Amino acid sequence: MSKPDILQGTLALLVLKTLARGPMHGYGITLHIQRVSKDVLRVEEGSLYPALHRMEQEGWIRAEWGTSENNRRARYYSLREAGRKQLLAEEKNWAQLTEAVASVLAFAR
Amino acid sequence: MSLLSRLKGLLQIRRLEGDLDEELRSHVEMRAADNVAAGMSRAEARYDAQRRFGNSTLMKEETRAMDIVGWIETTGQNLRYATRMLRRNPGFTLVAILTLALGIGANVAIFTVVRAVLLQPLPFPHPEQLVRVYDDMRSSSTHGVGMSVPELWDLRDRSGIFQDITALVSADANLTGGDRPQRIELLGTSADYFTMLGAQPLLGHTYLPADALPGFSEPTVISNAFWHRTFGADPNVIGKRIRVDGDLYTIAGVMPPDFRHPGRTLGGDVDIWATAGFAAPPFPSPVIRAARFLPGAMGRLKPGLTLAQAQAQLDTFVAQLSRQFPDEYPSAAGWSIRLVPVQQDLVGNVRTELLVLFAAVAFVLLIACVNLANLLLARSASRQREIAIRLAIGAGRLRLIVQLLTESILLATVSGSVALLTVIWLKSALLRLAPADLPRLSEIRFDPGVLLFAFFISILTGVIFGLAPTLQTARASQITALREGTRGSGSTKHQLQFSRLLVASEIALSLVLLIGAGLLVRSFWQLLQVHPGFEPHHLVTTKIWLAVPNNPQDDPYFTREKRAAFHKEVLRRISSLPGVEQAALGNGASLPMDFSRIQTPFLIENHPLDIERTPAAEISDVTPSYFSALKTPLINGRFFTDSDDTKGQPVALINETLAHRYWPNSPSDAVGQRFQLGRVLRGQTSAAQNPWLTIVGVVGDIKSDGFEAESAPHIYVPLFQTPPYDGVVYLRTSGDPGTLGDAVRAEVQRVDPTIPVFSVRTMDSIVSTFLAERRFALDLIAIFAVVALLLASVGIYGVMAYTFSRRTNEIGVRIAMGAQRTDILKMALIEGVVTIAFGVVGGLLGALALTRFLQSMLFSIKPTDPATFAAIAALLSAVTLLACLVPARRATRVDPLIALRHE
Repeated sequence: MSKPDILQGTLALLVLKTLARGPMHGYGITLHIQRVSKDVLRVEEGSLYPALHRMEQEGWIRAEWGTSENNRRARYYSLREAGRKQLLAEEKNWAQLTEAVASVLAFAR
Repeated sequence: MSLLSRLKGLLQIRRLEGDLDEELRSHVEMRAADNVAAGMSRAEARYDAQRRFGNSTLMKEETRAMDIVGWIETTGQNLRYATRMLRRNPGFTLVAILTLALGIGANVAIFTVVRAVLLQPLPFPHPEQLVRVYDDMRSSSTHGVGMSVPELWDLRDRSGIFQDITALVSADANLTGGDRPQRIELLGTSADYFTMLGAQPLLGHTYLPADALPGFSEPTVISNAFWHRTFGADPNVIGKRIRVDGDLYTIAGVMPPDFRHPGRTLGGDVDIWATAGFAAPPFPSPVIRAARFLPGAMGRLKPGLTLAQAQAQLDTFVAQLSRQFPDEYPSAAGWSIRLVPVQQDLVGNVRTELLVLFAAVAFVLLIACVNLANLLLARSASRQREIAIRLAIGAGRLRLIVQLLTESILLATVSGSVALLTVIWLKSALLRLAPADLPRLSEIRFDPGVLLFAFFISILTGVIFGLAPTLQTARASQITALREGTRGSGSTKHQLQFSRLLVASEIALSLVLLIGAGLLVRSFWQLLQVHPGFEPHHLVTTKIWLAVPNNPQDDPYFTREKRAAFHKEVLRRISSLPGVEQAALGNGASLPMDFSRIQTPFLIENHPLDIERTPAAEISDVTPSYFSALKTPLINGRFFTDSDDTKGQPVALINETLAHRYWPNSPSDAVGQRFQLGRVLRGQTSAAQNPWLTIVGVVGDIKSDGFEAESAPHIYVPLFQTPPYDGVVYLRTSGDPGTLGDAVRAEVQRVDPTIPVFSVRTMDSIVSTFLAERRFALDLIAIFAVVALLLASVGIYGVMAYTFSRRTNEIGVRIAMGAQRTDILKMALIEGVVTIAFGVVGGLLGALALTRFLQSMLFSIKPTDPATFAAIAALLSAVTLLACLVPARRATRVDPLIALRHE
């Protein structure tokens, strides 16, 4: 029943990728990841916000107050140039990693 | 980073946390809304949304910080933690508490005095309306020349600014009828004295309107102390009769214990109050404007009148009077009347001294704070790892700052309590340090105001010394701290620079204090170099007082001959006392450095009259042996002889100052000249019946108004020609002054058993009493300055020792690479010298700016005396350099092998 936690280190990648589509608030980010992964990936609020703040400090993303679709005040995050570069780097990393894992798994005796 | 941006950062943390809070709340709300849309109940939806934050405590902490219970809980935790930390370092804690207790205690003690003397309003209704009234002569810049009765009446009836005004005449009086005659302090006032002050008696009543008579009236009011001393607090004392100066008075009232006359007296608290109209015997009558025998007056201004308004109205009124009586008030004399708030008059020049002392103790406390800040800073270096770990595992910086501050405030509060208890415990010992004539001394007490001050200053101290190291610590980057921590170094370059800045400011503060103390010490030393014009050692004085009854018929000493005979007999008897080498008599004004005396105008025969400056001089009556008893030299002419008596030609001696002023070319010309005492009007004195006195000699100046005052012109008249009612006995002796006093009393009372002999003192003690007030401030400031010097030395020693112990490693490498020990020493010293130089320059600038506030306490040196500045700066540099030389030398002895292994 339990749903897997997001693998260490991949949360930043997922958030950056989500934000590449356009500005989004924290709740929207969790919903998006959950929906797109068909409920396989689930973002814990307790790790999402510290991660968002860290990324903000690193200068990857910026945060602004805005109004949500149903007229609620919410903090919207959007990608900065550094974030876009980081996303490319992390995507490349991830591709290499999955490829490597796949090669190990596909290695048959 | 500057303190300002640091503080801004603090604020930012708060704002960010507010943002975060709101962000999380909006998240929860959105989730809850979706949950409801998905079919959950409202409560369930909210619970589910919040549950998802389960592993984050941030929300909880935030909400908890908002309610007071949580706040108390946090403070309690902080306090427990702080206590634990302090107990773990008992050495540090003890040193810190002692240093701070010293600083806080000194501040509390001085504040207690300042509060009682300067801040506390006088214990009367509307004390701000009470003023002293003085007459001045602007032309000769003489202040307090005295007031005449018609002027008192004018002020009361026509000036329009007073509700009440009363003359004040302090007098010695004889109380007879007891075991032996007693000298008491009498205050003669107008009948509305008590109404003016708004004071109520404890027993009986004060004066009634019917008591306003031209002479003295019979009812008298006695002080509480006198009631206890003389009547054993007898509740039936009202209506009893007492004999004062030969006159019978009836006790009408007893004042409560806390009532005190708000003004200066002759020699202690007032014992009895008597009321008079000052217009009938024993006062000069008929009443004339020229007779300025009232020393001054006290008045209560009309309600709503400010001092400035009252003074302005009074100036107009004085101008009007001067036009009305041009003979009495020639415009050249510049007669004016001055109003002084009673509180200010009472406190006088003590004000500056107390404020300077207050500043000095504030400096000491500040230095103690800086020292402690440095200690904490060094200690915080070793706590850096703990802090870094706590930051890393998610502690809030604000919470950490509050917690570190709790530690320093706890330390300061404990020190404050220790200080307060010590000061209260030592109160009587401390008050004995204060000069006895400090005004309002008896009003000094510990009340909630003092407690509040002690509490406030403790908290402030804690914040001041805790803030810098706290911010320094909390600012530290956790990563570097963790990394450096493992390498055992633990203090950053930044931190050392900050320590040095603290030490430099400590040196600067000490230097300011030391220069102040140095200036005072030099002034005092210079004062002691001034020759008083007489030889104070082995000279004993006592006072006597012939009663002045209100009715001349009752006066056994009404004629000059009677008084002269009394004095002659007394002098004959005391001269033959065993151990007496030389005996002399004088009137009250002949006693140097006792109380301030007035100047009497006079007219010199055939001397060009200076219209702007009427000649005036202090006048004393003395016997021929006075000058030889005091060892005052004769400059020209001759001393008095026994034949200068009521039968002889009227003669006088003048002092050098007077001779130089009117015979500047050759003071010896003065001998043989004649003058007449009295107010000068149109080329002749107002008292034409006064005899013309022939100057028979010039004597050396006696510093009768104290060491620092310029010698005033002084005229000496033979005591047997003008025998006074008040007498001072002078005995040059090698014997014990205590037993001599009893012997003098016995001889005087053998001549007349109703005459009291009082205030037996050596001239040495009179001189030292005169210096006591100056000494008090000087001693305290000197002590504070030495404490400051010690603290600063300990401070620089600590920082240097700490710096070098942190750099053992580096020094080891240098030595291993071939550096000479002298190179190392030089390198170490340069750092110390730079720190000291900064401190000394800052201190010199500070002293330049601040020492002018000492001006009124200095004698014959400028507040910026370069010699003092240079000498003190050199002394401080030497001491602090020594304090950094010791650890520097130790550093050079490092064995490179051990030093490198130190890692």
